Formats: sequence, structure tokens, C-alpha cells
Amino acid sequence: MTTAHATGSRTRAYRAPAPLGGRPDRSLQRTRTGGRRNRAALAFLAPALLIMAVFVAWPMISALQLSFTDASGFGEAQWVGLDNYARIFTDADIRDAVVNTVVYAVLFTPTAVIVALALALLLTNDRLPFRGLFRTSLFLPFIISLAVAALAWSYLIDPQVGLLHYWLRGMGIDLGNVLQDPTLAMPAVALVAVWKNFGFYMVIFMAGLQEIPGSLYEAAKMDGAGAWSRFRHITLPMLSSTMAFVLIFAMIAALQAFDQIYVMTGGGPYGNTQTVVMEIYESGFRKLELGFASALSYVLLLATLVLSVVQFVFFGRREKES
Amino acid sequence: MKRTPALVVAPVCLALALAACSGGGGSSDSDGPVELTFWHGYTEADGDVLQQIVDDFNAAHDGEITITTQVNPWDVIDDTFLPALSADNGPEIVAMPAERLPVYADRGAFVDLDDFYAGDDATPHLNAGALDMVTVDGTAYGVPTGFVPLAMFYNQALFDAAGVAVPTTWDEWVAAAEALTVDQDGDGTPEQYGLALADHATVGNGVWPSLFYGNGGAIVEDGQAVVDSPENAETLEFWHDAITAGKISPTGVDGVSGDSLFSSGRVAMYIGGPWMATVSEENGIDYGIAPIPAGPEAQAASAIGVSMALTRQADQAQQQAAQEFFSYFLSREESVAWALGSGWPPLRTDVAADEVDENPVVAALTEQAELGRPLLPGVVNSTDVLTAVDDLTQRAMAGEPVDDLLAEAQTAIQAALDD
Repeated sequence: MTTAHATGSRTRAYRAPAPLGGRPDRSLQRTRTGGRRNRAALAFLAPALLIMAVFVAWPMISALQLSFTDASGFGEAQWVGLDNYARIFTDADIRDAVVNTVVYAVLFTPTAVIVALALALLLTNDRLPFRGLFRTSLFLPFIISLAVAALAWSYLIDPQVGLLHYWLRGMGIDLGNVLQDPTLAMPAVALVAVWKNFGFYMVIFMAGLQEIPGSLYEAAKMDGAGAWSRFRHITLPMLSSTMAFVLIFAMIAALQAFDQIYVMTGGGPYGNTQTVVMEIYESGFRKLELGFASALSYVLLLATLVLSVVQFVFFGRREKES
Repeated sequence: MKRTPALVVAPVCLALALAACSGGGGSSDSDGPVELTFWHGYTEADGDVLQQIVDDFNAAHDGEITITTQVNPWDVIDDTFLPALSADNGPEIVAMPAERLPVYADRGAFVDLDDFYAGDDATPHLNAGALDMVTVDGTAYGVPTGFVPLAMFYNQALFDAAGVAVPTTWDEWVAAAEALTVDQDGDGTPEQYGLALADHATVGNGVWPSLFYGNGGAIVEDGQAVVDSPENAETLEFWHDAITAGKISPTGVDGVSGDSLFSSGRVAMYIGGPWMATVSEENGIDYGIAPIPAGPEAQAASAIGVSMALTRQADQAQQQAAQEFFSYFLSREESVAWALGSGWPPLRTDVAADEVDENPVVAALTEQAELGRPLLPGVVNSTDVLTAVDDLTQRAMAGEPVDDLLAEAQTAIQAALDD
């Protein structure tokens, strides 16, 4: 850093931090400039932190408070202790919604991840022509509005006016009224969600794939490893942190499923696609039970947190092993 | 930290400024006119007429009262009203689907209007069913802005082509629907259906209540669930048989898809609301309006209601002003103007059908007005009751055993009422 010497200590504050265990004689100076640096950083972070505090932290704290009351949004709220939480574990509707959410997550998460990984592998292959075009078109569904995607698909698979029906009928396949079919509705909304979201996971996988050194594959090739065994023993282990990220993200998205299903089925047929977040919405905004809705939100938050940590630990251990 | 960095100060100021700006919608300064905000969801031609009524009212109260309307779709109002009101940033007057009123009233969102009704000239002339829908536990919390029984809309051209008369009983209805169902290519899926009988999320949630009434059944009576009755079992079986045997109606239809099936000319008969008249005209459908055919026990139709209420955000002066507006709105003259413009029958029973016959749709619906029954009046948790009814009818039309379904619905509805 030659410029640092030339312009004095002010610029030195911006050099990259020294690795841990650096030379002890400079530690004093580091702390001093570090303090100033922290203050400057805080000043720059302040607007964002303030927004976070007002729009994230404060609502979370109020929601926690609400979850112990029978608040409706109007008038006085009574403290009800753990009643709301107790109701969550006894209410049959909530139990159904939890089952639905789990089914949705099980349908959505692995499918989205496998599709994303497969396409990422295909798109990082040098021999594929028009890679840029494919990459962009496959990413497109992710950036269109959820409600638009949901509506478009609802029309496509509508038994009366749907184009997809028309084509399939031409091939002698009758899908029936998919979104009103108690067994098909959930797979249908999950598939649309996969179509909508895999692009994002695919791009993350592609970034991960590009970080795997080509020399590993060359070495493996020389040792006579086939394509599968290169994938199994190089790609997958080297991708494990990316995989953990994508899986956790996809799972969180699945547990929070709401808007797209709300537009496509409204939770029907007969509650078969009603998810936990839809129950939260209905309790809070339809039945005006904000206390109960808050408690349900917190239980969902905790469940998501626990599942994320479990995955995190699992992948962390696997990474250590390899 | 000696000096507070400007960067920290700026956003705090901004936040404070924003907070200062957002202090409530309408205010009533002692000098200026009393200001009221009025949220409603009349987005079509009816919205223009309502705006005209509000403008006329404002002009008549120049310098005293100013009402500002804010128009949003009904479901947007339902989603934003709670957060707005709990932040004291909501409207003083809000209109909403009538079955949504009790839950808000029960939670203390609205001002009690018993005194208003006691003193208003219009009170004895108002439609009793409409009043039932603004009453919770014996107290009035709103003023009806609409109350219309569901009616049968039929496609005149298809009726003429098949040479079928407009049905007046259930048996005639099914026979007509069979005659109007056409499966030209014989693949088992008709290209044209006699009827679109929605089995869930029906128009105004009223199709199945109407059918239940027709056979002497009901859903809730005097705060008790009465859905599990032999009459209702018969009704469900009758319609399930008619649909499976004759394929007279597509299955899995809801109110929205039913509307579009009728307006695209693919079904001959449909139970709908007054807007179907406009929708049909826009789509070039030659339509007729008839009462829902009489069931074995009664001729009745569930009504779609809309009510407006005075929120607890209004101060004394605003409450006074709002009640003056309600009075104006319910006056005979405005009642007729509102009926003609909105396409809904008049809310006053002292306005006869021939007074509104310049709008034939309104005249036709006015003649049917006495058939209208309020939907779940005073039921606070109407959300869960209607979900249970949807579950029941959709499963029954899919062929599940009716007795089990009714028992299940009975338990779910009673639980919702006991909440």
C-alpha cells in the first residue's frame, strides 16, 4: 500500500484488516483507528439500522407482546398468558395447515433443488450453445410478480379455458379440474412454485460450480473417474456449503408459502392447500384475532429456526468430514 | 461520542417528520368544516353515483361538512382497515360486505347507532333483512347501502334455441338444465351446460343458503347451528344426483369462474348478483332475470348485503356529521337515485317497483326483494361458518357421504358460533 504512506494515517484506516495474531506492537494503534472506523461504520449503517429497528425489530417485539393477549387491533387487549400457544397445539385447523405445509415443503424443496442443480450443471457445460440465452430465460420466472405467475398458471390449467388442457386433451390426456382436485391441487401449486423459484437457486448453484477448480476434474479424469463419479466425489462435496444455503433458503420459502397458493386455490379445495401462513392471515385479518395470529407466527418462526439450525449443523459436519 | 454524526440525526428527523405528517385522516378543526373520510368498494358505475350523492351532500353542507371518499376493492378495504384504524389513520365511515360487519363491531371498531335509528324518519321504512345484517347482539352498528336477493340470470338466446320455458320450481329447473346441456361430440364433457352451480366461494356466499332455504333448511338460527338437518341432506342429495346424472353443471365452479362461464355464453342459467346484468351486456349476452326457482318448501334467496359503519375513530362532531350523511343517504329521494344508479333494489320498502322501472334490472330485483333473507346476521365469526359451508357443499358435490359431512359441518359451525 504505497498510497497509504503518501497520504498519511487517515487513509490507512481503510486498509484491509490484518489477520488474527498480527504483530503485537501495532495492536494499540489498530484499536484506536479501529474505534474511529467503527464509529464511521455505525454512522453509515445508522439509516439502515433505524429502518430495521422500526420496521423489523419493533414489529417483532410488539408481535411477541401481542401473542400473550387476546388483541383484536381495536380497544383494550387482555393478557391471556399462554392460551394462544396452547390453542395452536389443540386446534384441528392448525394441525391440518401444518400437515399441508409439511407436504408442500416436501414436494417443493427437493424438486426445486434438484431441478436447479441439474440445470446449473447443464448451463456451466462449455459445450452447450446459447448458454446466456438459456440462463436468462430460465431465470425469468423468478423475477415476474408472484400474483401474475399464479394467475397465468391458474388460467393455463383451467379446465374450461386452459391452453394446457386443450393441448393435453389433443394427446388424449384429461387432467380434470386440477386446482379443485383434493389430491392434485397441492402438487400443482408446488410445481408452479418450483417453476417460479428454481431460477434463483440455479444461479446460486452456478456461482458455486464456478468456484470448483478445474484441476480437480482434470486430475480425476486422469485417474479414470467417469462423469458420475466426478459428480459424486468432486462436485457434490465441493458444493456442500452452497447446497446448505440453497436447501435452507428453499425450505424457508416453502414454510412461508402464501401468496401464490392464496391466488391459485385460496386454500381449497376444502382446505387441502391451506398453509400455516394462510391461517395466520385469516386469524389476523379475517377473524381479527391478532393475538392468536402473532402466537402462530412465533411458533412458525421457531420451527423454521430449529429446522434451519438442524440443516446447518448437518451440512457443517459433512463439510468437516470431507 | 461527543458529536452526534449528522448521518444519525437525519433519519431520526425524517422519521419524526413522517410521524407528524401521518396523524390521522380527517380532522375537525373548530374553524373549518368537519372533515370525514369514507372508504368504500363501489368501483363501477355505482361508484360514480355514490360520488354524486356525496358531492351533493357536500354542496348542501358547504362550509360545515366535507366528506372525502376513497375507493378500493372490497378485499383491499378488508385487509387495510384493521391496521389503519388501529393506527388511528383509518376512515370515519367505512362500507364493507354486510357479513363482515359483525366481527368488527364485536371487537369495538364501530360506534353504536341505536340513537340514530331511534330518531331517523327512514327507520320504519327500511328493509328488515338489511337491518338485521347491521345488528349485532341487538345493537345497530351500521347503515345498509345494499341488500339484494340472489337471482337467476338466464341466457335468452339459448332458451329460445332449445324452446325451453323459464323454470319456477326445482324439478322444472333440473329439466330445463338437462334440455339446455349439449354434448355435441359425445365425449362425455358437454360443450354447453344448462346451469353453473358453484359448489364453493359462491356469489355472495349465498347460492347454497338459498337452496337450503328452498327445502325448508337453514345454516344458523338464533345463534345455533342447524345445518345438520334431514332437509339439508335432501337438498345436497338432490343437487348431487342432478349434477352427476345429467351433467347439467360443471363441477368445482366458484363465483368468479361461474360469472365468466355465463358471460362467455357457455352456460344457460346462473345464480348471480345484479352486476351480472352489466357483465352480460358488456359481453353481448341477451339475458333475462328471474327469481331462483322455488324449492319444495319455500321460495327464498340469500341476499348480498353491503353496510357502512361509523368507526370509533370519529370524534363527537364527526359522529354528528356522519349521521347527518346517513340520514341524507337513506332519504326517499337519494334512495331512489342510489337504486337506479347502482342497479341494486331500493333499501326502502316504501319505494315501489314502478318508481324505479326506468332501470328494468332494478325493477325486476325490486319485485324479488321480499324473497331476500339476510346471510348470517349478527354472526361474529362468519369466516369459519362460511368455510364450513364451502367444505360441506364442495365435498357433497364430489360425492362424499352427506350425513357425515353434515355432522362435521354442524360441529364446525357450532364451534365458530361458540368462539
